[in-house]
Amino acid sequence: MTPVDSHGLISIRRSTHSPVITMVGAAVLVGLLSAAPWIVSQSLASILMNFFILVIMATMWNLLAGYAGMVSIGQQAFVGLGAYATLYLAIKGMNPFVTIPLAAAACGIIALPITYLLFRLRGGYFSIATWVIADTAMLIIGTIALLGGGTGHLVPGLSNLSPTALTDAEYLATWIVALLVVAGTYFLLRSRVGLVLASLRDNEVAARSAGVRVTSARRMVFVIAAAGCGAAGAVLAISQPFVQPGNEFNLQWSAEMLFVSMIGGLGTIEGPILGSIVFFVLQQSLQQQGAWYLIIFGALAMAVAIWQPRGLWGAFRDRFHMELMPVGHWVRETKRPK
Amino acid sequence: MPLLQLEGVSKKFGQVVVAEEITFQLDQGAAVGIVGPNGAGKTSLFGMISGDIRQDSGRILFEDQSVGSMTAAVRCRMGMGRTYQVPHPFERMTVFENALLAAQQGAQAHGQKSYDLAFAALERTGLAELANRPAGSLGLLHRKRLEMARALATGPKLLLLDEIAGGLTDPEVNELIVIIRGLRDDGIAVLWIEHVVRALLSTVDRLLCLASGRLVADGPPSEVLASEEVRKVYLGGKIINEAAI
Repeated sequence: MTPVDSHGLISIRRSTHSPVITMVGAAVLVGLLSAAPWIVSQSLASILMNFFILVIMATMWNLLAGYAGMVSIGQQAFVGLGAYATLYLAIKGMNPFVTIPLAAAACGIIALPITYLLFRLRGGYFSIATWVIADTAMLIIGTIALLGGGTGHLVPGLSNLSPTALTDAEYLATWIVALLVVAGTYFLLRSRVGLVLASLRDNEVAARSAGVRVTSARRMVFVIAAAGCGAAGAVLAISQPFVQPGNEFNLQWSAEMLFVSMIGGLGTIEGPILGSIVFFVLQQSLQQQGAWYLIIFGALAMAVAIWQPRGLWGAFRDRFHMELMPVGHWVRETKRPK
Repeated sequence: MPLLQLEGVSKKFGQVVVAEEITFQLDQGAAVGIVGPNGAGKTSLFGMISGDIRQDSGRILFEDQSVGSMTAAVRCRMGMGRTYQVPHPFERMTVFENALLAAQQGAQAHGQKSYDLAFAALERTGLAELANRPAGSLGLLHRKRLEMARALATGPKLLLLDEIAGGLTDPEVNELIVIIRGLRDDGIAVLWIEHVVRALLSTVDRLLCLASGRLVADGPPSEVLASEEVRKVYLGGKIINEAAI
């Protein structure tokens, strides 16, 4: 085609408001959370750790389901495999903290061939198959005597640190992984790939006919999500530090990822984080209420699904027109076209 | 060298024949209209050309290359842009981002070049003013224009327009005609399904008529519309249906 020559007519801004305030806010938050073990109580630090693990998982689940349309209920497969990769490498004498990136990479590598099986299926069949894969992984791991079989195994190599130093190191490791996962997701969504993922989220048919290689994009997302959940599994193993198939491969991980992504808002970066905050606030305040705790969670999920399908963050953004992590493209015309 | 060739393309959904031995070619820069009653297989034909559905038999060649087994994304990157009868905007993206995705993926443009290509497509289709609006907030006319802008941003040699004028008012149709004629004059081949025959006649120099998956006429618009065969299937569809029962 011979387009109207608009070269240099426009420039693109990536955010509607000045990013300075957000960046200062982010820097303060990162600083505070990095220093948290030394400024907050140990119990709060341990709650924060569990919070970070959930943020990692939910951010990954949001990429899968919120963007690429893959509703996986088997992400616990990679949480478990990540935990067991750390356990295995630690048994082989490696420092458990060093194993975290290796566990993530291993899960990414394992996920790749799995996509060739899974991508034959769609919708509900896909979801069920992810669950089957998770259970299969659990059963296979449970047969390996070296890894403790069905009863589990303690992650070795952690006892040479003093209890306080260990807690601090665990906290920092979890926090760094969460920071990397959220920042990585942010930069991914700001890139060309981000636009591809947003197009998949909005309309897969149109994406195909606009030249998007849908299957490759989905495969990439699945591998990234597996690696992220693997990293979550690795820090989970270190923080527990007793690793057991029924615990690490628990369906509850996927249920929590789904719950917080949904109430926070699918298809946004901020949604799963907000959802995780809501989840932990509710959990801490309702712990004493027994069964009511679950009933209120369920009611909240239903209420959001019915009245606020874009999630709490979606509602907030629609009202105040602000984004904490802007990924959009805003056109500014430098010269008026005629 | 013809731009697009179909050779004996056939497709069935169960017992329903949507294409039966369809053969025709399209030259570079040609503007060709497709008419036919509802259910004639027009949109399915587009689906097979663009790669959304796979033909059962026959060959589809684009620039002398067989594309029948390629994905829609690959065909788009080769130079086929298509619009949908029911617009498929990326609702949560802005109008500009809709076109930008097409420029970055379909036309494989990078950086400022992709911005310029996307914005040029918006200007071409009269959407430049709405560049920062969420696509989900657009009305029908603008959604139809966005379909075209996105197809255009992929840098097509062939534009497949599926009832782009359907549901629009006369003045809106006229605006679209001006845009489409401009594209044709720039050398982009246009294959255009339309029920608004008036719109077609102003732009195309050849007309195909489909009925029950068969190509029943192919030629200059006036001849095709005057032919006995076309009058029977297209204008008197009811009689045929009753005869079939």
